[in-house]
Amino acid sequence: MSRPRRLRAAEPRQGVAAIEVEGSRWRESCRRELGDGARFCGAYASGDRLARRWSALFADGPSTRVLTTRVDRDQLPTIVDLVAAAQWDEREAHDLHGLRFEGHEPLRALVDHTVDTAAWTTPVEGRGVHQVAVGPVHAGVIESGHFRFHVVGERILHLDTRLFYKHRGLERAAEGRELPDGLRFAQRACGACAVTNAVAYAQACESVLGLLPTRELRRARTLLLELERLYNHLNDIGAACAGIGFASGNMAFAALKERAMRLNKELAGHRFLFGSAEVGASRLVLASQLAGRTRGQLRELRQDAAQVWREVRFSGSVQARLGGVGVLDRDSAARLGAVGPAARASGLEQDTRSDSPGLWYGSSFAAAGPEARTGDVSARLQVRASELESTFEVLDDLLSAPIAADIASPSGPKAPIGVARVESPRGETVCVLEHDLFRLRRLHLRTGSYANWPALAEASARNLLPDFPLINKSFELCYACVDR
Amino acid sequence: MFVLLRHLQRVRREAALPPRRGARSLAIRHVDAGSCNACEHELTATAAPQYDLQRFGLDIVASPRHADVLLVTGPVTTRMEGALLAAYEAMPEPRRVAALGDCALGCGVLGAAAELAGPLDRLLPVDIRIPGCPPTPQEIADAILDAIPASQSPGSP
Repeated sequence: MSRPRRLRAAEPRQGVAAIEVEGSRWRESCRRELGDGARFCGAYASGDRLARRWSALFADGPSTRVLTTRVDRDQLPTIVDLVAAAQWDEREAHDLHGLRFEGHEPLRALVDHTVDTAAWTTPVEGRGVHQVAVGPVHAGVIESGHFRFHVVGERILHLDTRLFYKHRGLERAAEGRELPDGLRFAQRACGACAVTNAVAYAQACESVLGLLPTRELRRARTLLLELERLYNHLNDIGAACAGIGFASGNMAFAALKERAMRLNKELAGHRFLFGSAEVGASRLVLASQLAGRTRGQLRELRQDAAQVWREVRFSGSVQARLGGVGVLDRDSAARLGAVGPAARASGLEQDTRSDSPGLWYGSSFAAAGPEARTGDVSARLQVRASELESTFEVLDDLLSAPIAADIASPSGPKAPIGVARVESPRGETVCVLEHDLFRLRRLHLRTGSYANWPALAEASARNLLPDFPLINKSFELCYACVDR
Repeated sequence: MFVLLRHLQRVRREAALPPRRGARSLAIRHVDAGSCNACEHELTATAAPQYDLQRFGLDIVASPRHADVLLVTGPVTTRMEGALLAAYEAMPEPRRVAALGDCALGCGVLGAAAELAGPLDRLLPVDIRIPGCPPTPQEIADAILDAIPASQSPGSP
C-alpha cells in the first residue's frame, strides 16, 4: 500500500481519500492510521454476498481516509482491540451483513433481536447481583429502546443497551434511488438532527458529483445547522431539569424552545427545518429586512435564555443533583470514541465545526467547553449552555447580511466515494455514499448518537439506578438515527 | 427560582390561551413505534406554557392500564409490533387508538418493507387520525381535545 500524502482541503469541502487495502494487511493499515493520530469515525459493509467489502473511516482534520478491503468468505480480522470505538460497527455488520470478525470475542448481538438474552448481554455474576429490565416502552414520551441494568441494590454495575427497536431499514430503502432523492431518507432518520443529516448527505453527494458549495450555500447551511443546534440545546437543558424534577426550569426552557421552533417555521417554513437543505442548491432567502428582524428576535431569545440559565445554574438544590453524577472520564471518552458536547465535557477538544470548510465558521471558531471538564451531568449541561452563546454569536454574524438562494458550482473534481462529516447537536455525524452512475448503491449514516451510546453506558456504571434518567437526559441521544 | 416563575408568568400572559372548556379528562399512553422523534418533540411541546394541554385534564400516563387513548407514532416496525400490541391489550375498555403523524398513517418516508409491520390501521382500529410531518402541537391539541366528548360515551364511534 502506498502512503497517500496528507490531504489539505484548499477547496471549500472536506477532503476524501479512498484507499484499497489487502485483507492480510487490514489490521496493520488501521493501526498505522491510528498511530498517525487519525481518529476512527465509523466502519460499514457494502456490496453483496458475492463481493462483500468492508470499509473503515479515519478522520484527520478536514480530511477523511476511507480504508476498504475485500471480504473473503464473510470473515476478516477485528480491529476492536486497536480501537474500542469500532465495537458497535462490527456488531452491526455481523447482524445485518453476516460478517464475522476474528478476534472480536464474544461478538454480542446488537441489531439482531431474535437471539436469547444471553447472546447480547454481558454476564455479571456475584452475590446480590440482579437484572432490572426497562423498555422498550417507557413511562414518558420517550423513544423506544430496552435497557438491562445489572445492579446490586440500587447501584448499577453494568448497563447493556438494546436499541434498534425502531430499525426501519432506511439505508436499504434508499439504495437504488437517484442520488438527490436519497436525501429524504437521510433527513428522516431523525427529526432532531434532520438538518445535520440532510447537510451531511448533500455534501457527500456533491463531492461525488463534482459540485462545490458557493458562499451563499455555505452561509445558508450554517444558519440552518445552528438553528437546529439552538432548539436542541434549549430542549436538552430543559430535559435535564425535568430529569431532576425541577419543573420551573423545565417549563422555562420548553417555552424558549417553542420560540426557537416558531422562528424556524418563519424562516424556513418548517418547525424542524425539514426540506430546507438539498443537494446542490439552497432555496433559503432572507432579505435584509427579515434578516434584521430575526436578528432582533434572536437577541431577545439570547437574553432570556441567559437569564433562565443563570437561575438554573445558581439554584443550589439543582446543582447539588448534577455534580459528580454520570462521570465519563477523559480516557474513557477518547477510548470509546465519544463526540460532541459529551466528549467536550470530558475534556476532549473535538468539534467538527472547526474542520468544515464547506460551511461558514470563521477561522477563529473554537469549540466551547465547560469551566471544569469533570465529565459529569453538570459539565455536559454547562457545555451546552456555553455552546448556546457561540451559536447565538454565529447566527448574529450570519444574519448581519441578507442570504440569497444559490446553486453549487460544477467546477470541482469528482470524488470516488462521498463522505461528509457534520457536527450535529450531539456530535459528529458521518454520511457515506457509494454510487453507480446516478443511483445510490450504499448509504451509511453514523450519527453523533451512534458514536455516544457506548459512552452513555460507561458513564452510567457505578451510579444509582434512579439517576439513570438524569444521566440519559444529560447525553440526550437519539434512538431514531441510531436505529435507522 | 422567583425569576423563573416570573418569566413563566410573562410567557403565560403573552400566550393568552383560550379559557378551559368543561371539566373532563383524558389519559393518554404514548407508544413510539419507529418514529423519527419529531412527533415526540411536538407531543412533548403540548405541555409547554404556550399550549399547556394539562389545563384540559389531558395527561400522559405512565402505564397503558391507566390510559383511555393509545397514541402511536411511527410506521410500526416489526420489532415494535409486539410491544405495541401488548400495550393495547393492557388497556382497560373503552379505549381509543390515535395515529399521530404521517408515518403512523402510512404516508410518510417509511423504510424497507421487510422491517415494517404497519401502518397502524393494519394492526389496530384507529379512531383518531392526526396527519402531519410532524403535526404541530396545536394540531395535536385540537385533535385530542375533539376526542374528549367521544371518549366519555363508550357506545359512540
